Amino acid sequence: MANTEAALKEATTIEGAIGAALVDYSSGMALGTVGGGKDMDLTVAAAGNTDVVRAKVRTMEMLGLKDEIEDILITLGGQYHLIRLLKGRGNNGLFLYLALDKERANLAMARHQLKRIENELEV
Amino acid sequence: MKATTATSPDSRVSPMLVRLADERATGALLRDHGTLYLSEGRVVHAESPTAPGIDTLLTTGGRLPRDGWQRAVDEAGARREVGRFLVDSGRIGGGELEICHLGALYDAAFFALAPGSGPTRFRYGVAHWIGPVRPVSAAAVERETRRRRELLDQVWPYPAVDTAPVTPRPPAPGQSLTRRQRALLELADGVRTPAAIAWALGRPAFHTLLEVRRLAAAGLVDTPPEPPPDARPARPVLPAWIGEITADPDIALLRRLRDALEASL
Repeated sequence: MANTEAALKEATTIEGAIGAALVDYSSGMALGTVGGGKDMDLTVAAAGNTDVVRAKVRTMEMLGLKDEIEDILITLGGQYHLIRLLKGRGNNGLFLYLALDKERANLAMARHQLKRIENELEV
Repeated sequence: MKATTATSPDSRVSPMLVRLADERATGALLRDHGTLYLSEGRVVHAESPTAPGIDTLLTTGGRLPRDGWQRAVDEAGARREVGRFLVDSGRIGGGELEICHLGALYDAAFFALAPGSGPTRFRYGVAHWIGPVRPVSAAAVERETRRRRELLDQVWPYPAVDTAPVTPRPPAPGQSLTRRQRALLELADGVRTPAAIAWALGRPAFHTLLEVRRLAAAGLVDTPPEPPPDARPARPVLPAWIGEITADPDIALLRRLRDALEASL
Protein backbone atom coordinates (compact mmCIF):
# COMPACT_ATOMS: atom_id res chain seq x y z
CA MET A 1 0.00 0.00 0.00
CA ALA A 2 1.57 3.24 -1.12
CA ASN A 3 0.56 6.81 -0.66
CA THR A 4 0.51 9.17 -3.62
CA GLU A 5 3.84 10.78 -2.88
CA ALA A 6 5.65 7.45 -2.58
CA ALA A 7 4.06 6.29 -5.85
CA LEU A 8 5.20 9.42 -7.67
CA LYS A 9 8.70 9.17 -6.24
CA GLU A 10 8.87 5.60 -7.45
CA ALA A 11 7.76 6.74 -10.90
CA THR A 12 10.69 9.12 -11.08
CA THR A 13 13.12 6.25 -10.39
CA ILE A 14 12.10 4.75 -13.73
CA GLU A 15 15.12 4.92 -16.05
CA GLY A 16 15.09 8.19 -18.00
CA ALA A 17 12.24 9.80 -16.01
CA ILE A 18 12.05 13.60 -16.21
CA GLY A 19 8.95 14.05 -14.10
CA ALA A 20 5.70 12.45 -13.06
CA ALA A 21 2.26 13.65 -12.03
CA LEU A 22 -0.94 12.14 -10.70
CA VAL A 23 -3.81 13.91 -12.39
CA ASP A 24 -7.56 14.10 -11.85
CA TYR A 25 -8.81 14.37 -15.41
CA SER A 26 -12.31 15.56 -14.60
CA SER A 27 -10.88 18.83 -13.27
CA GLY A 28 -7.39 18.90 -14.78
CA MET A 29 -5.84 19.18 -11.35
CA ALA A 30 -2.47 17.66 -10.51
CA LEU A 31 -2.97 15.87 -7.18
CA GLY A 32 0.79 15.52 -6.90
CA THR A 33 3.90 16.11 -8.99
CA VAL A 34 7.51 15.03 -8.69
CA GLY A 35 10.42 16.25 -10.81
CA GLY A 36 9.87 18.37 -13.87
CA GLY A 37 11.79 21.45 -12.82
CA LYS A 38 11.95 24.70 -14.70
CA ASP A 39 12.04 23.02 -18.11
CA MET A 40 8.72 21.33 -17.62
CA ASP A 41 5.84 22.73 -15.57
CA LEU A 42 4.04 19.54 -14.60
CA THR A 43 0.94 21.42 -13.42
CA VAL A 44 0.52 22.83 -16.92
CA ALA A 45 1.27 19.43 -18.45
CA ALA A 46 -1.37 17.87 -16.19
CA ALA A 47 -4.10 20.29 -17.25
CA GLY A 48 -3.18 20.08 -20.95
CA ASN A 49 -3.04 16.31 -21.09
CA THR A 50 -6.47 16.14 -19.55
CA ASP A 51 -7.73 17.41 -22.90
CA VAL A 52 -5.83 14.63 -24.67
CA VAL A 53 -7.51 11.99 -22.53
CA ARG A 54 -10.95 13.55 -22.87
CA ALA A 55 -10.63 13.79 -26.65
CA LYS A 56 -9.73 10.10 -26.84
CA VAL A 57 -12.57 9.06 -24.54
CA ARG A 58 -15.01 11.06 -26.67
CA THR A 59 -13.67 9.54 -29.88
CA MET A 60 -14.10 6.05 -28.52
CA GLU A 61 -17.69 6.86 -27.54
CA MET A 62 -18.36 8.15 -31.04
CA LEU A 63 -16.90 4.98 -32.53
CA GLY A 64 -19.01 2.91 -30.18
CA LEU A 65 -15.94 1.11 -28.79
CA LYS A 66 -16.89 -0.58 -25.55
CA ASP A 67 -13.38 -0.67 -24.20
CA GLU A 68 -11.16 1.30 -21.86
CA ILE A 69 -7.95 3.17 -22.40
CA GLU A 70 -5.01 1.48 -20.70
CA ASP A 71 -2.34 3.96 -21.67
CA ILE A 72 -1.52 6.65 -24.21
CA LEU A 73 1.96 7.13 -25.62
CA ILE A 74 3.11 10.39 -27.13
CA THR A 75 6.48 10.27 -28.84
CA LEU A 76 8.38 13.52 -29.26
CA GLY A 77 11.78 14.06 -30.87
CA GLY A 78 13.55 13.82 -27.54
CA GLN A 79 10.96 12.57 -25.07
CA TYR A 80 8.28 10.03 -24.44
CA HIS A 81 5.14 11.08 -22.60
CA LEU A 82 3.18 8.22 -21.08
CA ILE A 83 -0.36 8.59 -19.78
CA ARG A 84 -1.66 5.67 -17.78
CA LEU A 85 -5.32 5.72 -16.80
CA LEU A 86 -6.05 4.29 -13.38
CA LYS A 87 -8.84 1.78 -13.26
CA GLY A 88 -10.18 2.71 -9.87
CA ARG A 89 -12.87 1.21 -7.78
CA GLY A 90 -13.97 4.74 -7.02
CA ASN A 91 -15.45 6.68 -9.91
CA ASN A 92 -12.86 9.44 -10.05
CA GLY A 93 -11.02 9.55 -13.35
CA LEU A 94 -7.29 9.66 -12.65
CA PHE A 95 -4.18 9.18 -14.72
CA LEU A 96 -0.47 8.90 -14.07
CA TYR A 97 1.60 11.08 -16.35
CA LEU A 98 5.26 10.28 -16.94
CA ALA A 99 7.75 12.23 -19.06
CA LEU A 100 10.84 10.30 -20.13
CA ASP A 101 14.10 11.18 -21.83
CA LYS A 102 14.01 9.21 -25.08
CA GLU A 103 17.76 8.61 -25.11
CA ARG A 104 17.86 7.01 -21.68
CA ALA A 105 14.46 5.35 -21.40
CA ASN A 106 13.44 1.79 -22.08
CA LEU A 107 9.85 2.19 -23.19
CA ALA A 108 8.66 -1.37 -22.60
CA MET A 109 10.22 -1.38 -19.16
CA ALA A 110 8.76 2.02 -18.30
CA ARG A 111 5.23 0.91 -19.24
CA HIS A 112 5.63 -2.18 -17.15
CA GLN A 113 6.88 -0.23 -14.13
CA LEU A 114 4.11 2.32 -14.44
CA LYS A 115 1.56 -0.48 -14.39
CA ARG A 116 3.12 -1.82 -11.21
CA ILE A 117 2.96 1.61 -9.57
CA GLU A 118 -0.71 1.80 -10.46
CA ASN A 119 -1.34 -1.49 -8.70
CA GLU A 120 0.53 -0.34 -5.62
CA LEU A 121 -1.53 2.83 -5.41
CA GLU A 122 -4.62 0.71 -4.83
CA VAL A 123 -7.09 3.22 -6.11
CA MET B 1 1.57 49.53 -17.39
CA LYS B 2 0.25 46.17 -16.38
CA ALA B 3 0.96 44.81 -12.93
CA THR B 4 2.63 41.43 -12.74
CA THR B 5 0.33 38.55 -11.87
CA ALA B 6 2.29 37.66 -8.76
CA THR B 7 1.56 40.94 -7.04
CA SER B 8 -1.68 42.19 -8.56
CA PRO B 9 -4.53 42.25 -6.04
CA ASP B 10 -6.69 40.12 -8.33
CA SER B 11 -4.34 37.18 -8.02
CA ARG B 12 -4.90 36.99 -4.27
CA VAL B 13 -7.81 34.67 -3.61
CA SER B 14 -7.80 35.41 0.14
CA PRO B 15 -5.29 37.76 1.76
CA MET B 16 -6.29 36.40 5.16
CA LEU B 17 -5.41 32.85 4.13
CA VAL B 18 -1.97 34.03 3.01
CA ARG B 19 -1.42 35.83 6.29
CA LEU B 20 -2.49 32.81 8.36
CA ALA B 21 -0.20 30.57 6.32
CA ASP B 22 2.68 32.97 6.92
CA GLU B 23 2.15 32.93 10.68
CA ARG B 24 1.78 29.10 10.61
CA ALA B 25 -1.61 29.33 12.27
CA THR B 26 -3.73 26.38 13.37
CA GLY B 27 -7.52 26.63 13.37
CA ALA B 28 -10.57 27.10 11.18
CA LEU B 29 -11.02 29.89 8.62
CA LEU B 30 -14.75 30.52 8.40
CA ARG B 31 -16.30 32.15 5.36
CA ASP B 32 -19.88 32.42 4.08
CA HIS B 33 -19.57 29.51 1.66
CA GLY B 34 -17.34 27.20 3.64
CA THR B 35 -14.54 26.56 6.07
CA LEU B 36 -10.83 25.87 5.64
CA TYR B 37 -8.98 24.01 8.39
CA LEU B 38 -5.33 24.90 8.88
CA SER B 39 -2.61 23.15 10.80
CA GLU B 40 0.63 25.07 11.22
CA GLY B 41 -0.25 27.20 8.23
CA ARG B 42 -1.02 24.30 5.89
CA VAL B 43 -4.50 23.42 4.69
CA VAL B 44 -5.55 20.06 6.13
CA HIS B 45 -9.25 20.02 5.32
CA ALA B 46 -12.05 22.09 3.78
CA GLU B 47 -15.82 21.96 3.86
CA SER B 48 -18.55 23.77 1.99
CA PRO B 49 -22.33 23.34 1.97
CA THR B 50 -22.12 23.34 -1.86
CA ALA B 51 -19.52 20.59 -2.17
CA PRO B 52 -20.25 16.99 -1.20
CA GLY B 53 -18.02 15.99 1.70
CA ILE B 54 -15.60 13.08 1.69
CA ASP B 55 -18.32 10.94 3.35
CA THR B 56 -20.66 11.50 0.39
CA LEU B 57 -17.86 10.99 -2.15
CA LEU B 58 -16.92 7.67 -0.54
CA THR B 59 -20.39 6.30 0.21
CA THR B 60 -22.68 7.68 -2.55
CA GLY B 61 -19.75 7.34 -4.94
CA GLY B 62 -19.96 3.63 -4.17
CA ARG B 63 -16.58 3.07 -2.58
CA LEU B 64 -17.62 2.46 1.04
CA PRO B 65 -20.86 1.17 2.56
CA ARG B 66 -22.60 3.85 4.60
CA ASP B 67 -22.35 1.83 7.83
CA GLY B 68 -18.60 1.31 7.29
CA TRP B 69 -18.16 5.05 7.19
CA GLN B 70 -20.41 5.56 10.22
CA ARG B 71 -18.44 2.99 12.19
CA ALA B 72 -15.20 4.85 11.47
CA VAL B 73 -16.72 8.15 12.63
CA ASP B 74 -18.08 6.51 15.81
CA GLU B 75 -14.80 4.80 16.63
CA ALA B 76 -12.28 7.47 15.72
CA GLY B 77 -14.20 10.74 15.42
CA ALA B 78 -13.71 11.81 19.03
CA ARG B 79 -9.94 11.46 18.80
CA ARG B 80 -9.95 13.10 15.34
CA GLU B 81 -8.41 10.19 13.49
CA VAL B 82 -11.19 9.04 11.14
CA GLY B 83 -8.87 9.07 8.13
CA ARG B 84 -6.26 6.91 9.79
CA PHE B 85 -8.91 4.53 11.14
CA LEU B 86 -10.33 3.96 7.65
CA VAL B 87 -6.89 2.97 6.39
CA ASP B 88 -5.77 0.97 9.45
CA SER B 89 -9.00 -1.04 9.53
CA GLY B 90 -8.44 -1.97 5.88
CA ARG B 91 -11.56 -0.19 4.60
CA ILE B 92 -9.63 1.84 2.09
CA GLY B 93 -6.06 2.12 0.75
CA GLY B 94 -3.83 4.95 1.92
CA GLY B 95 -3.36 6.27 -1.61
CA GLU B 96 -7.06 6.12 -2.33
CA LEU B 97 -7.98 7.99 0.85
CA GLU B 98 -5.46 10.70 0.03
CA ILE B 99 -6.78 11.11 -3.49
CA CYS B 100 -10.40 11.22 -2.38
CA HIS B 101 -9.61 13.60 0.47
CA LEU B 102 -7.60 15.95 -1.74
CA GLY B 103 -10.47 15.93 -4.22
CA ALA B 104 -12.89 16.93 -1.46
CA LEU B 105 -10.49 19.51 -0.03
CA TYR B 106 -9.87 21.41 -3.27
CA ASP B 107 -13.54 21.13 -4.19
CA ALA B 108 -14.75 22.68 -0.93
CA ALA B 109 -11.95 25.28 -0.96
CA PHE B 110 -13.06 26.44 -4.41
CA PHE B 111 -16.50 27.34 -3.04
CA ALA B 112 -15.29 28.54 0.36
CA LEU B 113 -12.94 31.00 -1.35
CA ALA B 114 -15.57 32.28 -3.79
CA PRO B 115 -15.17 36.02 -4.29
CA GLY B 116 -17.27 38.36 -2.19
CA SER B 117 -18.45 35.71 0.22
CA GLY B 118 -18.86 38.01 3.17
CA PRO B 119 -16.76 38.45 6.29
CA THR B 120 -13.98 36.05 7.18
CA ARG B 121 -13.25 34.87 10.70
CA PHE B 122 -10.58 32.63 12.12
CA ARG B 123 -11.00 30.38 15.13
CA TYR B 124 -7.63 29.45 16.53
CA GLY B 125 -6.95 25.93 17.68
CA VAL B 126 -9.91 24.21 16.00
CA ALA B 127 -9.15 20.87 14.32
CA HIS B 128 -11.35 18.68 12.11
CA TRP B 129 -12.34 15.13 13.09
CA ILE B 130 -11.09 13.61 9.84
CA GLY B 131 -7.56 14.07 11.22
CA PRO B 132 -4.36 14.46 9.24
CA VAL B 133 -4.47 12.98 5.72
CA ARG B 134 -2.28 15.00 3.42
CA PRO B 135 -1.80 18.70 4.15
CA VAL B 136 -1.29 21.05 1.22
CA SER B 137 0.16 24.54 1.15
CA ALA B 138 -2.15 27.55 1.20
CA ALA B 139 -0.37 28.71 -1.96
CA ALA B 140 -1.34 25.49 -3.75
CA VAL B 141 -4.97 25.93 -2.69
CA GLU B 142 -4.99 29.52 -3.94
CA ARG B 143 -3.34 28.57 -7.23
CA GLU B 144 -5.77 25.73 -7.87
CA THR B 145 -8.81 27.84 -6.94
CA ARG B 146 -7.69 30.50 -9.40
CA ARG B 147 -7.01 27.90 -12.12
CA ARG B 148 -10.51 26.49 -11.65
CA ARG B 149 -12.18 29.90 -11.98
CA GLU B 150 -10.27 30.57 -15.18
CA LEU B 151 -11.04 27.12 -16.54
CA LEU B 152 -14.79 27.58 -16.06
CA ASP B 153 -14.70 30.88 -17.91
CA GLN B 154 -12.60 29.42 -20.72
CA VAL B 155 -15.11 26.64 -21.26
CA TRP B 156 -18.26 28.77 -21.26
CA PRO B 157 -18.24 32.23 -19.65
CA TYR B 158 -21.80 32.16 -18.31
CA PRO B 159 -21.75 31.78 -14.50
CA ALA B 160 -25.56 31.68 -14.39
CA VAL B 161 -25.27 28.05 -15.56
CA ASP B 162 -23.62 27.11 -12.25
CA THR B 163 -26.58 27.78 -10.00
CA ALA B 164 -29.60 27.34 -12.28
CA PRO B 165 -31.53 24.04 -12.55
CA VAL B 166 -30.00 21.92 -15.31
CA THR B 167 -32.37 21.58 -18.27
CA PRO B 168 -31.18 19.20 -20.99
CA ARG B 169 -31.65 19.93 -24.69
CA PRO B 170 -31.90 17.29 -27.40
CA PRO B 171 -28.55 16.53 -29.03
CA ALA B 172 -28.01 17.67 -32.60
CA PRO B 173 -27.58 14.92 -35.21
CA GLY B 174 -24.14 13.40 -34.82
CA GLN B 175 -23.64 14.75 -31.31
CA SER B 176 -22.71 12.13 -28.75
CA LEU B 177 -22.34 12.05 -25.00
CA THR B 178 -19.73 10.42 -22.82
CA ARG B 179 -20.75 7.95 -20.16
CA ARG B 180 -20.12 10.48 -17.41
CA GLN B 181 -22.18 13.10 -19.22
CA ARG B 182 -25.05 10.66 -19.65
CA ALA B 183 -24.99 9.83 -15.92
CA LEU B 184 -25.16 13.55 -15.18
CA LEU B 185 -27.98 14.29 -17.63
CA GLU B 186 -30.07 11.40 -16.33
CA LEU B 187 -30.36 13.36 -13.10
CA ALA B 188 -31.06 16.68 -14.83
CA ASP B 189 -34.79 16.96 -14.29
CA GLY B 190 -35.13 20.72 -14.65
CA VAL B 191 -35.15 21.06 -10.84
CA ARG B 192 -31.70 19.89 -9.71
CA THR B 193 -28.85 22.38 -9.91
CA PRO B 194 -25.33 21.25 -10.82
CA ALA B 195 -24.47 21.04 -7.10
CA ALA B 196 -27.56 18.91 -6.38
CA ILE B 197 -26.54 16.55 -9.19
CA ALA B 198 -23.03 16.34 -7.72
CA TRP B 199 -24.51 15.29 -4.36
CA ALA B 200 -26.77 12.71 -6.00
CA LEU B 201 -23.86 11.21 -7.95
CA GLY B 202 -21.33 11.43 -5.13
CA ARG B 203 -18.97 13.43 -7.32
CA PRO B 204 -17.14 16.67 -6.52
CA ALA B 205 -19.28 19.76 -7.18
CA PHE B 206 -16.66 21.57 -9.26
CA HIS B 207 -16.37 18.58 -11.61
CA THR B 208 -20.10 18.76 -12.16
CA LEU B 209 -20.05 22.54 -12.71
CA LEU B 210 -17.32 22.10 -15.30
CA GLU B 211 -19.18 19.31 -17.05
CA VAL B 212 -22.39 21.35 -17.09
CA ARG B 213 -20.56 24.33 -18.57
CA ARG B 214 -19.12 22.04 -21.25
CA LEU B 215 -22.60 20.68 -21.96
CA ALA B 216 -23.98 24.22 -22.12
CA ALA B 217 -21.20 25.24 -24.52
CA ALA B 218 -22.14 22.29 -26.72
CA GLY B 219 -25.81 23.30 -26.58
CA LEU B 220 -26.78 20.16 -24.68
CA VAL B 221 -28.19 22.03 -21.69
CA ASP B 222 -29.91 25.40 -21.54
CA THR B 223 -27.90 28.49 -20.72
CA PRO B 224 -30.18 30.64 -18.57
CA PRO B 225 -30.29 34.33 -19.40
CA GLU B 226 -27.96 36.48 -17.31
CA PRO B 227 -29.69 38.10 -14.31
CA PRO B 228 -31.57 41.26 -15.25
CA PRO B 229 -29.59 44.48 -14.81
CA ASP B 230 -31.55 45.59 -11.72
CA ALA B 231 -30.47 42.42 -9.89
CA ARG B 232 -26.83 43.42 -10.23
CA PRO B 233 -25.11 46.14 -8.26
CA ALA B 234 -25.77 49.48 -9.91
CA ARG B 235 -22.86 50.52 -12.05
CA PRO B 236 -22.58 53.65 -14.18
CA VAL B 237 -22.37 52.98 -17.90
CA LEU B 238 -18.96 54.05 -19.24
CA PRO B 239 -17.27 53.54 -22.60
CA ALA B 240 -15.26 50.33 -22.79
CA TRP B 241 -11.91 52.04 -23.25
CA ILE B 242 -12.06 53.38 -19.68
CA GLY B 243 -10.98 49.96 -18.52
CA GLU B 244 -7.76 50.32 -20.45
CA ILE B 245 -6.47 53.52 -18.89
CA THR B 246 -3.00 53.33 -17.45
CA ALA B 247 -1.88 53.82 -13.87
CA ASP B 248 -0.62 57.35 -14.60
CA PRO B 249 -3.27 59.05 -16.71
CA ASP B 250 -2.12 62.15 -18.52
CA ILE B 251 -3.98 65.39 -19.07
CA ALA B 252 -5.09 64.47 -22.57
CA LEU B 253 -6.56 61.28 -21.27
CA LEU B 254 -8.40 63.08 -18.49
CA ARG B 255 -9.85 65.44 -21.08
CA ARG B 256 -11.06 62.48 -23.16
CA LEU B 257 -12.54 60.99 -20.05
CA ARG B 258 -14.38 64.22 -19.21
CA ASP B 259 -15.65 64.54 -22.77
CA ALA B 260 -16.89 60.98 -22.76
CA LEU B 261 -18.67 61.50 -19.45
CA GLU B 262 -20.30 64.66 -20.70
CA ALA B 263 -21.36 62.94 -23.90
CA SER B 264 -22.97 60.12 -21.98
CA LEU B 265 -24.97 62.44 -19.70
